[in-house]
Amino acid sequence: MKTTGAIAVNGFAGAVLIFLLFPVLVVVLISFSSVDFLSFPPPSLSLRWYRTIFSSWEWIDAFLLTLQVGALTALLSTLLGVPAAFALSRHLKGGQGFVNALVLAALVTPPIIKAISIYLYYVPFGLLNTVPGLAFAHTVSGIPFVVINVVAGLRGYDRDLERAATIHGASPFRAVLGITLPLIAPSIIVGAVFAFMQSAQELLIAMFVLGTLEKPLAVKLWEGVRVAIDPSLAAATTSVTVLAVLGLVTVMLAGRRTRVTRVAVRG
Amino acid sequence: MSVNPLPAYPARPAGWTRSLSEQGRNPLGLLLLAPMLLWIAVFFVFPTAWMIWQSFAERGLQPYAAILTSPIYLKVLMTTLKICVITTIGCLILGYPVAYVLTIAKPRTRAILLILVVLPYWLDFIVRSYSWMILLGRHGLINQLIMGIGLSQSSLPLLYNLFSVSIGMIQILLPLTILTLFSTMIRIDRRLIDAATIHGASPWRAFLTVFLPLSLPGVYAACLLLFVSALGFYVTPALLGGPEQTMISQTIMVIASDLLDWPLASAAGVLLLIVTTSLLLVYSRFFRLDRMLGGMAR
Repeated sequence: MKTTGAIAVNGFAGAVLIFLLFPVLVVVLISFSSVDFLSFPPPSLSLRWYRTIFSSWEWIDAFLLTLQVGALTALLSTLLGVPAAFALSRHLKGGQGFVNALVLAALVTPPIIKAISIYLYYVPFGLLNTVPGLAFAHTVSGIPFVVINVVAGLRGYDRDLERAATIHGASPFRAVLGITLPLIAPSIIVGAVFAFMQSAQELLIAMFVLGTLEKPLAVKLWEGVRVAIDPSLAAATTSVTVLAVLGLVTVMLAGRRTRVTRVAVRG
Repeated sequence: MSVNPLPAYPARPAGWTRSLSEQGRNPLGLLLLAPMLLWIAVFFVFPTAWMIWQSFAERGLQPYAAILTSPIYLKVLMTTLKICVITTIGCLILGYPVAYVLTIAKPRTRAILLILVVLPYWLDFIVRSYSWMILLGRHGLINQLIMGIGLSQSSLPLLYNLFSVSIGMIQILLPLTILTLFSTMIRIDRRLIDAATIHGASPWRAFLTVFLPLSLPGVYAACLLLFVSALGFYVTPALLGGPEQTMISQTIMVIASDLLDWPLASAAGVLLLIVTTSLLLVYSRFFRLDRMLGGMAR
């Protein structure tokens, strides 16, 4: 029962999706361009810009640095965020509003504020120009992604499973470790991947904390965007995209597992 | 069971004191929460407090007076607010129908659409702004199209103006808009719309009088979240805007890294912080954190 209205709404939504995705398509196609100027669509395809990127130590170092910072950020965010999510959804009596507001503030406070405040703060502690220093600061913005996802995951989780384990003699701690954590693992993974991605994309804190000596990918891209006129930058950005899509696939596979386990749980 | 009109226990202290004393009886919650709170305190709250202190420490209120009386800084502030308003409205107009389609779609279609919506959300800000530079440039695809069709003889100046900044920011914030609206819309009981239709309302009228009002909390939440996010933009206005579209983050960056005037940079940061924090306080009163981003795991 398609009315004209329904067709119009669907058409509009389709147009918005194209607007959303087209710029992405453009960069990916240009990264495979065979010519050394930015033309779209590219006259023919090649891998030359990927060879350029991956034979340059500068870019490889940037990739490795981003991986280090991102992995440490994801790990710390998970270790801190998962227990907090348990507290928020189960054990806290009052005060949730305050914690929610704090976590939200950690997420959306403008990056420039985080950047200059952490820079001024790090000066006396000697954390400037260090990889852990940058990861510690990125963890602040990574924690909210873990907390939001794990709280949502716990809301959809049937706690009777845990109670069953306790009745059968497991300690409450063991029940959480052996039953709850594996079942909400997808939510934890999604949170951790998001924490990693926000770290990989973060520019301002990275510029202030690392200075100009070491450059993670985001800083390298930022500098490149302002001078480069060849497609090598598109290749570099597409490589970041591939990293993101790999993350997304992880998440989707994790999501599929949730659905299966949910069906299993509901019987 | 008899109903006792009087409380059987002594009246407890209200608010914080009560909340703390209750945590004391079951410390597990606080214990699990403590590491995260400590981390946020050490790496976010203390640095921010330190920045606030730094803004006063050297020259007192002078940096604040300098910002609030300088026409240049006030213009940047006004520009920032203008771009944020345009971006927020643009995102809502484009995002609402998509969120609606997501809500009424069948589960399989919805899953595919959600992936498409979230996909650009995973791409670097810099990447996304860069692609608009390619598309909107003098010899970019859009200009080729315009001249190809014959709408204009010469290429149009599409880049480095308010138009390109708004387009770029809207594209970056759209996924957040759609997910926020969708997480509210999916909770609306669709039988209410059926009820309206059965009672003779046209689909359009049922939408206007039932669905739209019920979706408004999501619209308000999206408004606040979008506005706050837009306030902090740096990369997009720097790449896609001209000097007229300089936003507050860019100005703070220049004050800090070029002028090296830390008290002034801190004061500008504090002013920005006041705006974002007050908006956030409003937001957190009306919208729960775990509904953000549509509870991404779902």
